[in-house]
Amino acid sequence: MELFLQLIVTGVMLGSIFALVALGWVLIYKCSGVLNLAMGELTMIGGYVCLAFYQRFVTIMPINYAFILALIGTIFVGLILGLLTERIFLRKMIGQPILAVIMVTVGLSFFFKGMVFMIWDTDTQVFLPRVFSIEPIVVGGIAVGAVYLWSFIAAMILMVVFICFFKYTRWGLSMQACADDEMAALSLGVSAKFVYALAWAIAFMAAGVGGTLLANINGLNYSVSSLGLLVLPVVVLGGLNSVPGAIVGGITIGILQNLAGGYGEAFIPGSKEVAPFVFMVIFLLFKPYGLWGWERIERV
Amino acid sequence: MSYLPCGTYFESYADDQKWWRTNFIKGKMIALVVVLAAAPYIVGAQWMSVLYTINYYILAALGVQLLIGYCGQITLGHAAFVAVGGYTSAMMVLFLPWPQFMVDTGLVYPISIVCAGFTAGLWSVLFGLPSARVKGFYLIMTTMAAQWITLRLVITQLSKIGGREQSFPLPPGVIKIGPWVIDSDEKIYYFSVILVIVCLIVMGNLLRSKIGRAWIAIRDNDIAAETMGVNIIVYKLLAFFVAGFFAGIAGAFWISALFFVSPENYEWFYSLLWVGIILIGGVGSIQGIVFGSAFVVMVFKLLEMSVLTLSDFLMNSYPELGWVTTKIIFFKESAFGLAIIFFLIYEPNGLSYRYWQLKNYFNLWPFSYTGK
Repeated sequence: MELFLQLIVTGVMLGSIFALVALGWVLIYKCSGVLNLAMGELTMIGGYVCLAFYQRFVTIMPINYAFILALIGTIFVGLILGLLTERIFLRKMIGQPILAVIMVTVGLSFFFKGMVFMIWDTDTQVFLPRVFSIEPIVVGGIAVGAVYLWSFIAAMILMVVFICFFKYTRWGLSMQACADDEMAALSLGVSAKFVYALAWAIAFMAAGVGGTLLANINGLNYSVSSLGLLVLPVVVLGGLNSVPGAIVGGITIGILQNLAGGYGEAFIPGSKEVAPFVFMVIFLLFKPYGLWGWERIERV
Repeated sequence: MSYLPCGTYFESYADDQKWWRTNFIKGKMIALVVVLAAAPYIVGAQWMSVLYTINYYILAALGVQLLIGYCGQITLGHAAFVAVGGYTSAMMVLFLPWPQFMVDTGLVYPISIVCAGFTAGLWSVLFGLPSARVKGFYLIMTTMAAQWITLRLVITQLSKIGGREQSFPLPPGVIKIGPWVIDSDEKIYYFSVILVIVCLIVMGNLLRSKIGRAWIAIRDNDIAAETMGVNIIVYKLLAFFVAGFFAGIAGAFWISALFFVSPENYEWFYSLLWVGIILIGGVGSIQGIVFGSAFVVMVFKLLEMSVLTLSDFLMNSYPELGWVTTKIIFFKESAFGLAIIFFLIYEPNGLSYRYWQLKNYFNLWPFSYTGK
């Protein structure tokens, strides 16, 4: 029972990190209808930029302030990078077949990966001095790492912020309109260029926060970008265009993965990594649009 | 379909549907075969590996083209099926107790190629099953799941066999077709050319048949196809099976060139690369696969050569700039990404469209109005 509870709690915490990364996917898809395969690289860029800022700031001020300032700096850099990416590469692809747009994001991922390694090298780098204490917080015999707790809180805050953004602000509504039907949105005076620029800026910023937290857990290297793709089952489970879906999916997959790791690994080695994907394929057979994804009704 | 030369017309449907409709096309094809046969002697030894890599990419991208270009089912996990093919073939060659006369007559490897095709095809159908219900992005996700699941299983389960960890080296002499042992670049090249020609002919003929027309109907509009009486589930799964079969053959061929199998030859990168190949070559065009593969492999080779010369030059002339050479390797990756992006932005119809334009220009000359 102890083990079970521990696995569940760790699963929730791990899941919240999945959820953070998945939010970026969902945001871009929700706003521009593009499946962004460069998400992992955006996460990685966020981590490296934050680390660079942090190493500058930590020499002149206390750790906490330095980290928060670095995070704000990362978000700002993310905003600029997002606008630039959209302006240079993605704007020309408006109206092109969707597969071509996806492949452009793939090209972007190669480009960013090469650039990141060119600037920061491939060695694993860590945040030193540590931002979050290494001592786990123990509640009733169940241990939780401080980083995980903070990423859980960050995921919750971001979810509320984004739900409010999409529901109550003018920009959020115009983004949703654009994703639903670009032509109709354009005829109602929504600027598609502005919406796409905003979508990419937001995705870069969300990925920056996610990347920073991930970098605090395992250090920064190439594996951060591969995690960006391993959250696929999360996105599918929640539905591709649902913000709460990303959070719920993240936590579910986190728990599932931990249970598979705790109980299944003894019978089938490797079940920890495979279980989420197998679950996803079977899940899609029964609910093709995830939990809360929009169903497309097609007519001939 | 391109326009016929001025003054050429046919009087029966059979003539109109022929593979080689004019003497010029016939001559062109014969010339192509001659060029392919003479290629090793034209290009020289160091380019042989480039040639058979192009052929391998053609074989692998064939299935991707079938799924994306002709059946409209987007796949981003094709390397998984190539991996299944490669591992099936390698496992059969290495670990099955073959009777001695089959080893002597060189039947083992050809049989394993066919088996690899069937295994990969069935594995592909398994992941094609959700295509009955899901479309578009969710299907992309399923095929991506195929990639992770397959590679994970290969790494964790197959590494137990034979106690040699993940990579399985193939001892020399094992890859044998009939009396020929595949051991030199030239033999690999000829083997790959024969496989490519056979597979392209099979694919071309499939597309001219009832099956191919059903696939194209599904691509254009699957609901309309269903109302016309096409059983879309069966044909979608058949498309997945055939695509997996080609992938299996590609995988089984590639072990003869590598002389070993290991998971890093089937990374997700390759799945993306093959989709990139068909986009560069042209979606829904068989020549497109060939053009795309040649383009991608050549870009890789040229980038590699320029990076090597550049770093040599830097090392010799400015030794204090040695740190730059370590960075140039990553520049190669970035440049490749940019090449794909700009190709898609400025040449969205692919290379086969340019080829089509070129052919028509000569066929219609001097009366080249096409209705506009």
